[in-house]
Amino acid sequence: MSRPLRKLLDKAGMAVCVLLLVSPALLFFLWMLSLSLKFEIDNGAYPPILIPDRFAWKNYTTIFEGNSFLLYFWNSLIVTGAATLFALVVGVPAGYGIARMKAHKSAVVIMIARMTPGLSFLIPLFLLFQWLGLLGTLWPQIIIHLVVTVPIVIWIMIGYFETTPMELEEAAMVDGATRWQIFAKVALPIAKPGIVVAFILSVIFSWNNFVFGIVLASRETRTLPVAVYNMLSFEQVSWGPLAAAALVVTLPVLILTVAAQRQIVAGLTAGAVKGG
Amino acid sequence: MASVSIRNVRKSYGAVEIIKGVSIDIQDGEFVILVGPSGCGKSTLLRMIAGLEEISGGTVAIDDRVVNDVPPKDRDIAMVFQNYALYPHMTIADNMSFALRLKNIAKSEIAAKVERAAGILGLGPLLGRFPRQLSGGQRQRVAMGRAIVRDPKVFLFDEPLSNLDAKLRVQMRTEIKEMHQRLKTTTVYVTHDQIEAMTMADKIVVMHDGIIEQIGAPLDLYDNPANMFVAGFIGSPAMNFIPGSIGGDGFTTEGGDRLPLGGRVPAASDGRPAVYGVRPEHFRLADEGMAAEVVVVEPTGSETQMVLRPLGAKTGQAGAGREDRKRELTWVLRERTDAKPGEVVRIAPDPALAHLFNPDTGLRL
Repeated sequence: MSRPLRKLLDKAGMAVCVLLLVSPALLFFLWMLSLSLKFEIDNGAYPPILIPDRFAWKNYTTIFEGNSFLLYFWNSLIVTGAATLFALVVGVPAGYGIARMKAHKSAVVIMIARMTPGLSFLIPLFLLFQWLGLLGTLWPQIIIHLVVTVPIVIWIMIGYFETTPMELEEAAMVDGATRWQIFAKVALPIAKPGIVVAFILSVIFSWNNFVFGIVLASRETRTLPVAVYNMLSFEQVSWGPLAAAALVVTLPVLILTVAAQRQIVAGLTAGAVKGG
Repeated sequence: MASVSIRNVRKSYGAVEIIKGVSIDIQDGEFVILVGPSGCGKSTLLRMIAGLEEISGGTVAIDDRVVNDVPPKDRDIAMVFQNYALYPHMTIADNMSFALRLKNIAKSEIAAKVERAAGILGLGPLLGRFPRQLSGGQRQRVAMGRAIVRDPKVFLFDEPLSNLDAKLRVQMRTEIKEMHQRLKTTTVYVTHDQIEAMTMADKIVVMHDGIIEQIGAPLDLYDNPANMFVAGFIGSPAMNFIPGSIGGDGFTTEGGDRLPLGGRVPAASDGRPAVYGVRPEHFRLADEGMAAEVVVVEPTGSETQMVLRPLGAKTGQAGAGREDRKRELTWVLRERTDAKPGEVVRIAPDPALAHLFNPDTGLRL
């Protein structure tokens, strides 16, 4: 076999493999997009239609008209924003402390908090929030999202701070910096890519969280995933608006992920190789 | 500028003692080099002076002030690390001025100090760049600049040249020495490279297994090593050690060859086992000398290095076993030679420059 042909075949094989691996995720997405742009009649058609003759843009307008979609979007923004911000404020210094003091046991404790199923403490917390009179506000959701966001931030930051060379901090120590100055002026700026990754993952997990919202949210405090779920009614499933809503919910996270893709990959592989 | 006094300093990690009671006096303005094989505790000792390691026992004093419990930032020292430890998110100028900015010194004064240090090290055009945009040698210079700017009492260097290539290392060696001659700041420098130690130091401290083997001026260590470790560590190629015994007015090797002692026979030592130490450059051709077979000839241009295998007066022939290889001698001669491997030469050591060691304690007799 000639060399150019072989190279071509290699490339083709690679492309097929990549397509096979990515296709499930991609197909879901394309089908969702297709659903959101079709009228109900096309959605029920057999054989299924991928690209309709007429686009049903009204699916998108319906979700903004029929529901308090903007309110739910705002709720999601507040809950995710507050839970992520607070997680960063607490988690970054915590990760630094654990990494520098080699407190691996406390890291495991945090991991356990993350692994415990949310439902197991949801009921007691519900009663607690009720007792505190917080139900009906966004506070219960913000607080309970911390269970998800804080461990993520701490774990990513531990990994990141462990890879930053100790000599840099020793140099700062000799240069006359206090512990806080070392953290603020040396460790933190160097850890910026790690913080970005922690931020993005925290946003994704918090934004998509469904279980906490469905239990704790009232009509006015719903977040987007719960709102989408509520579009399903007993009489009828309107696929078009549902898919449109789901896409709108996914969009912010999608944009964020694509925009910060390189940072995420860097963060997920941090510590895999010793940087030179 | 300051003196540094290290008194009976110990360091242990749990039950393992890394530094076993070390005392060094460093005078104001002196350039002292701690040298020894890896794991001898020299870097740990330096980090204890810097305050980056706790001191398990004894005292470290800078200018007569015991600093055992003083944090690094209050010791008024500057340190250059092996991997430079430049702040990657700061420009060169910011790297150099970091310590001054922490002290809230006036901006104009900081700029002047950075400019002066940059001038000394030729870093002027690089001040706006980031460390990642610099070569190894330039980074090294920035690390030194960061130390100079502070005008500290003591400079500490932790193997600063070991990441550079051979040519650059020689160049930076000169620069560091020049810098010291210019600033006259007390300097403690750690290296495992004895050539660095010999060429740069006012005073060398040879360490081994957590103790000090000998302290002295470079040539003093070379000429009068206190024991076999120092004799073997200082000087390249290393000193030849020939086991045997003292008898009459000379020394008899295990192979039966007679080596001269030049009348320096220690008292009451007839028949006593000893090790005869002679540097590779202190052999000369001699008709009555010991016979040895040439194994390898390595010309470098300026000199020739030869590996010889003594024939031994008893057997009259060279062996090639493991034991025989241990007995091989190195000879360095300045003049060119046409000796070929397999030939037999007769050489004799200069008795005035030879040393005798106790084979049990390693101490010089």
